[in-house]
Amino acid sequence: MAAPTAAPPATRAVAGAHRRSRPLGHERRRAAYLMLAPGMLHLAWWIGVPTVATFVLAFTRYDILAGTMAWAGLDNFVAIFRDPVWWTAVWNTVVYTFFTVPVAMAIAVVIAVLLNTNLRARAWYRTAVFMPHITATVAIALVWMWMFEPNIGLFNWVLSWFGVRGPAWTSDPAWAMTSVILMSVWKGIGLKMVIYLAALQGIPHDLYEAAEIDGAGPVRRFFAVTLPLLGPATFFVLVVSLIESFQVFEQFYVLTPEGGPAGSTTVMTYEIYKSAFQRFDMSVASAQSVVLFVFLLVLTIVGRRFTGRDDVA
Amino acid sequence: MTIRHRPVLRAVAAAAAGLVALAACGGPAPSGGGGDGTVSGEISLLTPIFEGADGAAVLEEQLAAFQAQYPGVTVKPDYTTYGKLNEKLTTSIASGQPYDVMLMGAGWIPPFAEKGVLADLGLEPAELGARYYERAVDAGVHEGKVYALPIMMDTRIGIYRKDLFAQAGITEPPKNFAELREYGKRLTQRAPDGTLQVAGLDVLGIDPRQAFLTMLWAAGGELFGPDGSPAFNSPAGVKALQTMADVIQVDRSEDVGWTTPNSPTGNVMAQGRAAMAVGHHHFWTQIQEEAPELIAEDKLGFFVITDERPAMFQGGTLATVSAQSKHPEAARALAEFLASEGPVLAANEQRGNIPSLKSLESSEFVQQNGAIQFAMQNFEHAHSEGGVPQWLEIRDKFKPAIESALLGQKSPQQALDDLAAEASAALAGR
Amino acid sequence: MSPEGTSAPVAPPVPSGPGPGRLGGAPRPGRILLHAVLVALSLAMVAPFVWMVLTSLKSHAEVMSYPPTILPSVWQWVNYPDALGFAPFGTYFRNSMVIAVSHTAINVALAAMAGYALARLPFRGRTPALVFVLAAMMIPTFTKIVPQYLLAKTMPFFGGNDFLGRGGSGWLDSWWALIVPGAVTPLAIFLFRQFYLSLPRELEEAARLDGLGEFGIFARVMTPLMKPAIATVALITFENSWNNFVWPLIVTRTDQLRVIQVGLAAFQQTERTLWEYLMAGTVLATVPMIVLFLFTQRYFVQGFATAGIK
Repeated sequence: MAAPTAAPPATRAVAGAHRRSRPLGHERRRAAYLMLAPGMLHLAWWIGVPTVATFVLAFTRYDILAGTMAWAGLDNFVAIFRDPVWWTAVWNTVVYTFFTVPVAMAIAVVIAVLLNTNLRARAWYRTAVFMPHITATVAIALVWMWMFEPNIGLFNWVLSWFGVRGPAWTSDPAWAMTSVILMSVWKGIGLKMVIYLAALQGIPHDLYEAAEIDGAGPVRRFFAVTLPLLGPATFFVLVVSLIESFQVFEQFYVLTPEGGPAGSTTVMTYEIYKSAFQRFDMSVASAQSVVLFVFLLVLTIVGRRFTGRDDVA
Repeated sequence: MTIRHRPVLRAVAAAAAGLVALAACGGPAPSGGGGDGTVSGEISLLTPIFEGADGAAVLEEQLAAFQAQYPGVTVKPDYTTYGKLNEKLTTSIASGQPYDVMLMGAGWIPPFAEKGVLADLGLEPAELGARYYERAVDAGVHEGKVYALPIMMDTRIGIYRKDLFAQAGITEPPKNFAELREYGKRLTQRAPDGTLQVAGLDVLGIDPRQAFLTMLWAAGGELFGPDGSPAFNSPAGVKALQTMADVIQVDRSEDVGWTTPNSPTGNVMAQGRAAMAVGHHHFWTQIQEEAPELIAEDKLGFFVITDERPAMFQGGTLATVSAQSKHPEAARALAEFLASEGPVLAANEQRGNIPSLKSLESSEFVQQNGAIQFAMQNFEHAHSEGGVPQWLEIRDKFKPAIESALLGQKSPQQALDDLAAEASAALAGR
Repeated sequence: MSPEGTSAPVAPPVPSGPGPGRLGGAPRPGRILLHAVLVALSLAMVAPFVWMVLTSLKSHAEVMSYPPTILPSVWQWVNYPDALGFAPFGTYFRNSMVIAVSHTAINVALAAMAGYALARLPFRGRTPALVFVLAAMMIPTFTKIVPQYLLAKTMPFFGGNDFLGRGGSGWLDSWWALIVPGAVTPLAIFLFRQFYLSLPRELEEAARLDGLGEFGIFARVMTPLMKPAIATVALITFENSWNNFVWPLIVTRTDQLRVIQVGLAAFQQTERTLWEYLMAGTVLATVPMIVLFLFTQRYFVQGFATAGIK
């Protein structure tokens, strides 16, 4: 047993002596509440209260400049769903999420597995893959704008080798979303890789060896050993990626400002930002946030089905 | 389980309700807006200009002069950017502790004034019009009362390359849309395979709404009619948008994607990729930095976009006083000071923008900047956007509408009619 | 196949490829191909950063030239001191450091506890608590920002407030507002929960038999095995905090308490952006993150988590 055996505090030893043989729910429950309390209270105050406030505001007409508030029932929700721009934003968000999340996750898990081997210079490779995540979006977007430049940018230049006339990328309504998706996948791989790397450390050697002895090749080992054991990590990455993706803002704000060419790349968070800080309409922004919230809740529940039961410790 | 949770839920709900109530009560401050008559106190200033260490140094210098005039007043500046100005305004107003003096953009004055955020400065527009450019003063007037004093202005004007004009045999800037388009076609240069090399007329280099408004006013149209209803889908408006769309779709004087406003890939005129542009006076400063030889060799010319009448788009930064200020006299004094000669010159010099005071036309700064000189000389043709309290709700709908026409997705009439419908809905309060 | 992990590992010579820790004996072509792929990938990932560095060393006119140059014609090293002189970056750097380190330390400590409780301790309300944590991630920042601002402002007894939080400015313009609100994140709690879930039951049972109380099990047995997770949370929290912009801007009114991102934003003005300075500033701002990442690399090494099992 490699578990360290430091002497438990005196009081606990006395109490523990009585309970050691059958760990009572009491003590564990009390420990649970004590350990949960600081974090959860913090969340409840700083996030819970604003969330409840948002839900309440969604049913009011709150004029933040004039300082007035009136009950509005479902008016805000009716208004936003009557707005075709909102529907476009919802659709764009879904499309964006649909293409960005699975692709980035798949690439990230493969890279993580590759970089988990005993490779020389793997710390450098890992750093390189993580770079997009830690560099501020504004600066990165500048570079991508150059790459997307229709006449002399990298992408169209490469396309011209094949005799293809590249599109106007971020200025073309048909390609603007693709442009942002490309940049987002590129940017999103790093963090996912890190999480998968961390999770991979928890998979014992022996499982791989046993599988090898059984005759499984590297690919088979990946699907039979690695992936299933990455279940909790995959659930995490999926949920977090979905949430992050639905709340994407910066990339769109910088790469395709003000909703993109002819409003083709507006997303939900951008509409919320517009409502809150361009139109000073907190009520509508809150209602839009509630809709976003519901979307995410539903997606998380669905995502839970996908990655299987992970609640069992 | 449920027993433990209910008190928690109740507490959270109570907190939320309390929070919302706090926010609602955040408007009127407890001690009201009445001052004691003397100019004293500590006042806060929110400024989206004077950024960076240089900007702060300029402001500090000016504030020292203010301090000398009003020794009883301390000014605490809060520096932000235009991009985050709204967040600062919203949070400070919602919390019931707004800034005493706030500098903000032109289109925001009517909505803010309407909602009681701004204090009536008690000044006479006519009197101000003697010292400041009338159009600049108008931007700060709502329902006959002055709520803001102009400090800094920016304009959208026509810019062209004199040498490229000469090469194409054009002697004068265009006097109407027909000439605008024709010259644009003549000045366009394409490689044999069709790739654009020089755009004869660039209409994509500034914000689409501002470009369209310039053309709209030049075509004799108006944003809103006298009764406040949308007037931009009039025949003049359609002509304006049609011209812009045709420049791209029909004349092929420019391609979509050739440039974007504030492009990180550089200014098209500085790069010699455009012969003529519906541009920003600030192009001068950019060209000065990126291609100074164009200025040194006097290759840059300016013209006011004209069709039925000459028209310049004008935006700006104005000084306002909060209606909830606890030191209204001191705040008024600061606002008036910031709109006086010293600070106005310093602010505009720092950013390369247009001073709001007529007296500064003879200053060295203006004399050395051809674009600003030109703008000031033609200021009677300036128009500003906005003018209705619901402007902030309508403003962001313009870009998608205009672009859909420029891209050929909708006809200009259709695009403008749809936009007018949306604007009417917003004006009616949804 | 579920070996109980009782025997010492045997490492027969096997071909290399995806799969952990295979040493030596690999056929050359496979390795070379792998390295080639990784190098290409790394270049794709790093290229924009390289472009940033190059841009930071060009003059403004050259940055804006068309077509753009790749290497600077004149290496403007002076851009760096000039950029730093543009705003009080020394102060900003210190502030960003204090805030980011505080956030990281607090988040790791509190979120690990909470995540552990959610993962391994049975109590009623466990699932609602998890749902609550997940739900806490689902409201966008913009929507929360005004209520959070009001919460900070109406903190009772601070900044001249009475017991109901009225009258003064609460936590505004103070370190409290900069550090406390973002100190615990639902993401970290969720991540810890997932990682604690993957630890084997046997460890816990054994520790309990040894007489450790719950907290002891948490602190002395489980958490030491969490080093990769701790490193991950540290990286995420630090990065979030370091790149945070809007919150520090709105809760402070003076430059003394502002952070690096606010300073960098000053390079982006309405009329134009000072790209070369912005790039220089961003390059410098990215360095601490790179250092932190390299430092945590040793925790992403196989064997840390499984050391105790055998």
